[in-house]
Amino acid sequence: MRWLLNWLRRRSMERDLDRELSYHTDRRVSDLMAAGFSQQDARRQARLELGGWMQVQEEVRDVWLTRWLRDFIYDLRFSLRSFLRSPSFTITAVLSLAVGIGATTAIYSLVNQVLLSELPVRHPDRLVLVDWKGDQAANGFGSYNLMSYPICRDLQLQDRFFDGVLCRAATTVNLAIGEEPKPVGAELISGSYFSVLGVSPALGRLVDAADDERPGAGPVVVLAYDFWEAQLGGAADVVGRKVLINQSPMTIIGVAARGFRGIDVGQVPSIWIPASMSAQANPGFKDQLDRRTRWMQILASLRPGMTLTQAQAGLQPWFKGMLDEDTRRPEFPRITAERRQQFLSSSLTLTPAPQGHSVLQRSRTSQPLWVLFAATGVLLGLACLNVAGLFLARGSAREREFSTRLALGASRGRISRQTLTDATLLSVTGGLVGIALAPLVIKTLIAFLPRDTAANALTASIDLRLLLFTFPVSAAAGVVSGLAPAIRTSRGSLISPLRERAGATLRGARLRKAIVTLQIAFTLVLVIGAALFARTLAGLIAKGPGFATSSLVEFSIDPRRNGYSPVEASRLVRRIDSEIRATPGIDASALMRFQLLTGGSWNNPLTIQADKRITTDRDVHLNSVSPGFFSTLGIGLVAGRDFTERDSRPVGESGRRSAIVNEAFASRYLAGRNPIGLRIGEGSGPDVTADIEVVGVVKDISYRGIREESEQAYFPIFEGGDSGGSFYVKSRGNPESTFRLIREIVRKADPAMPVNALRTVDDQVNRSLNTERMLATLSGGFSTLALLLSLVGLYGVMSFVVTQRTREIGVRLALGATTGSAIWLVLRDAIMMIAAGAAIGLPCAGALGRLVESQLFGVTPTDPLTIAAATLLLTVAALGAALIPAYRASSVNPVDALRFD
Amino acid sequence: MANSNSAQTALDMLILTILSRRGASHGYGIANAIQEVSEEALRVEEGSLYPALHRMEEASWITAEWAVTENKRRARMYRINRAGTKQLEAEKEKWSTFSAGVARVLRMA
Amino acid sequence: MPSPRFPIPQGTLDMLILQILSLEPAHGYGVAQRLEQVSQSVVQVNQGSLYPALHRLEQKNWLRAEWKQSETGREAKFYSLTASGRKQLAEERNSWARLAGAVQLIFDEGGKS
Repeated sequence: MRWLLNWLRRRSMERDLDRELSYHTDRRVSDLMAAGFSQQDARRQARLELGGWMQVQEEVRDVWLTRWLRDFIYDLRFSLRSFLRSPSFTITAVLSLAVGIGATTAIYSLVNQVLLSELPVRHPDRLVLVDWKGDQAANGFGSYNLMSYPICRDLQLQDRFFDGVLCRAATTVNLAIGEEPKPVGAELISGSYFSVLGVSPALGRLVDAADDERPGAGPVVVLAYDFWEAQLGGAADVVGRKVLINQSPMTIIGVAARGFRGIDVGQVPSIWIPASMSAQANPGFKDQLDRRTRWMQILASLRPGMTLTQAQAGLQPWFKGMLDEDTRRPEFPRITAERRQQFLSSSLTLTPAPQGHSVLQRSRTSQPLWVLFAATGVLLGLACLNVAGLFLARGSAREREFSTRLALGASRGRISRQTLTDATLLSVTGGLVGIALAPLVIKTLIAFLPRDTAANALTASIDLRLLLFTFPVSAAAGVVSGLAPAIRTSRGSLISPLRERAGATLRGARLRKAIVTLQIAFTLVLVIGAALFARTLAGLIAKGPGFATSSLVEFSIDPRRNGYSPVEASRLVRRIDSEIRATPGIDASALMRFQLLTGGSWNNPLTIQADKRITTDRDVHLNSVSPGFFSTLGIGLVAGRDFTERDSRPVGESGRRSAIVNEAFASRYLAGRNPIGLRIGEGSGPDVTADIEVVGVVKDISYRGIREESEQAYFPIFEGGDSGGSFYVKSRGNPESTFRLIREIVRKADPAMPVNALRTVDDQVNRSLNTERMLATLSGGFSTLALLLSLVGLYGVMSFVVTQRTREIGVRLALGATTGSAIWLVLRDAIMMIAAGAAIGLPCAGALGRLVESQLFGVTPTDPLTIAAATLLLTVAALGAALIPAYRASSVNPVDALRFD
Repeated sequence: MANSNSAQTALDMLILTILSRRGASHGYGIANAIQEVSEEALRVEEGSLYPALHRMEEASWITAEWAVTENKRRARMYRINRAGTKQLEAEKEKWSTFSAGVARVLRMA
Repeated sequence: MPSPRFPIPQGTLDMLILQILSLEPAHGYGVAQRLEQVSQSVVQVNQGSLYPALHRLEQKNWLRAEWKQSETGREAKFYSLTASGRKQLAEERNSWARLAGAVQLIFDEGGKS
């Protein structure tokens, strides 16, 4: 750091050196004069001895500051001065780079947080996800990589391979800390969870093996640090406090380490509860110890030195034995021989899980993020090209200055380095502006992600890791933008800029045209992508969910979480339902067990008893509804009848009497037959009895999301333990007053009952299209920016060409050429560039289109209309940008042009 | 600059001494001899040895010819000539004076 | 024209400067004069390398400098040895002894064969 000090006080150091050297010379002169020299001779002799004053100074300066550093600082000052002299160039270049770098940084931040960042645990690199490959012959609750709790316990004994195994399931519970209960995200965990991960408490203690020893053993709660700070003000006396989880009393035992947010960035828990309390956390759930109930994800920590492959291979013999043992258990379900075979040939797979287990990674969020990341990469490339073009343009103006410096003895390398310094200075400035912009973009992006789960785990803040990404990217952008001009400067001959200008400028123009051509190609790719995503979104909005959403409001309640028994719960739901329907201003109201358009569903294969018994070849999406549901949502009845009150069995009695299927189901499985009166059963095993009568057929609607067309079947609600549900309310008033009415009715029924997900169905439709909207909006934004950048580039190069050819155009005009032919002369160049750009861009767009095919709806990646429209848009915009200089060319006064030069 | 000049001069001197005492020798032999005779205190790198040999050949202090070595390989053998011997004497003289001067400064207390 | 002198190796120059300054503080001109006197004109520092050397040694914290009135009454920059400069001088003297010894060995070896 001494050099910095030296640089800062260089003025006083120079002054001192001057004094020191003049003292020396003066002393020498007086000594020499004393020895008999004349003053003149003495002076000359002293100077001679010192060996050139200037050279001594230079060498001493080298001691103060190494040569390259001095050169660099000099270059930097030179760059800075020349940038300040041409502010419009500087602003354009910095903004181009800031846009590219800011967008890339923002998307990278999300990619990093959602897909790449390792868990803040002791050995993230040793974590593996354990999954079952094959048929588990089990019921599932939840999504992705589900296993049963007993298997987790079995795996903990396999300590040759693992030094710890944990299991967990995400859920929502009603938590009451001294006041009315609120729904919060919770993670049900094995007792090994925190010790395997190596997470320590910030306060109190964490869940341990004793808490999870047997069902009901540990009525304890661990709070997440963020939740403790935000909801409890970080109170130190929170340990030991009593809380109610779904009305069951439990005790807070501690707070987990700061920064630890569970193992799933898509499902961030506020609290952790031992799996031993799963019956309390999921009211009605009795299957914690059932080997045939899949509801948890299992992560294991490999022993040090153990590889994933070794562990996976080593586990199989034990696993096969366990499968065999399972089939001999009395509670093992009756299944077909074929399925039994599939069960017995199952295996365990291990996959590295340093980032934990994430529903975001596995769901549809990850691919769109990569798509957008690629798009920003292209945008950044475009920005670099733009800056390179600007440099080349400025280069022609600076050539005289450079050749002067060359003539004064600067080396060619120094001049190239000056150009690179210019570019680096610009890109670092651009990077800084970009980083300043990035949090805004990140906030916008987070708003597009599933709000309830992901948004609270993702931050828009700029951390060191992000800077470690942005800084090299900026530097690389600088090198890329400065490279072409730098190479050109180093190749250019010393005299050419001073003597013959034509050769050099022609070469410059060719390079700049190549750059603009590439820009057009890049832009075309982005514009086509944006058009495809826009058409996808428009197509989905136009399609809609298949029912009338206007003036429809939805909400749900879950009485079981407030301590209700199933019978009490269904009574409460019915009471609220009839209250709502009796309220003036409400047109209709109906109940459904599982809310629509949330991405999830209840699904199972069905057995159909027609002329012969058949089972569906894939899962049918199931739901249960109250009478009047279809008419409330305006879903047409195609055949048969709607449910009536008589279809429901009395509360508490199990089994189903009747079902309604949709058209897709009827046409896939019952083609040609009259569905009404056929009998079906839930499940596909040989023990399934098909005794549920199909009483109606309804139009298809979207269940999980708008894209989906699926086979669906509906049962009457309040059968088989249904105890909560979603309400769909049609009203004449505005949504706000309906919300107020609903809250009032629920509060009257039970003041402690939380109202969940109260919103209009239109809002729910919008939420379900978040990913598509994110892709369409952002790719649209990116391609607009890209278009702007390449139009600036095109305009720049065309203006340059026109200036170069003023004389030629003037001569042609003087010889009688028409204005039109002059415009054509210039435009021809632009058309060539656009055509070449399209020739490069279209195949690239075609190739890249295949990669995003799964994100599209109602349009193929090579949709001719979309591609034609995008190409036309780009061509028109590009011709527009080229027309201005072309028109200027046509208005050249022949006489002036000839006098030019 | 003072550095490389003095290093060159010292190296030239060492090479000339070796050649004058041991007769013809190839580059590798010279490097070995310098190391061995100085009891490992001085080590000459190839990067400076061969340029020095060529420089001195240019200056006609030494002559070189191709010969077959003891292990049947062709090598360039260097030999000091009369001009070189004179140069060596002069340099040796200068070194003695210089080192004596330095010694006087170092004895000063 | 005097015959070209033996060029002083940089390390040796550093050592000589440190040695001169180990006795008493001096300005650049004084260092040059004293070197010439003591070595009986054998060591003549190229003035062009004296000042870069002084500044280099100062940067390395082996020397410290202050402006003081000189014997002529004018202000001059006086250099003096620091503690680490003293340590450095000891090391430089050691390596000079090794170099001089090695060169001497080579010259003497000639006599033996």
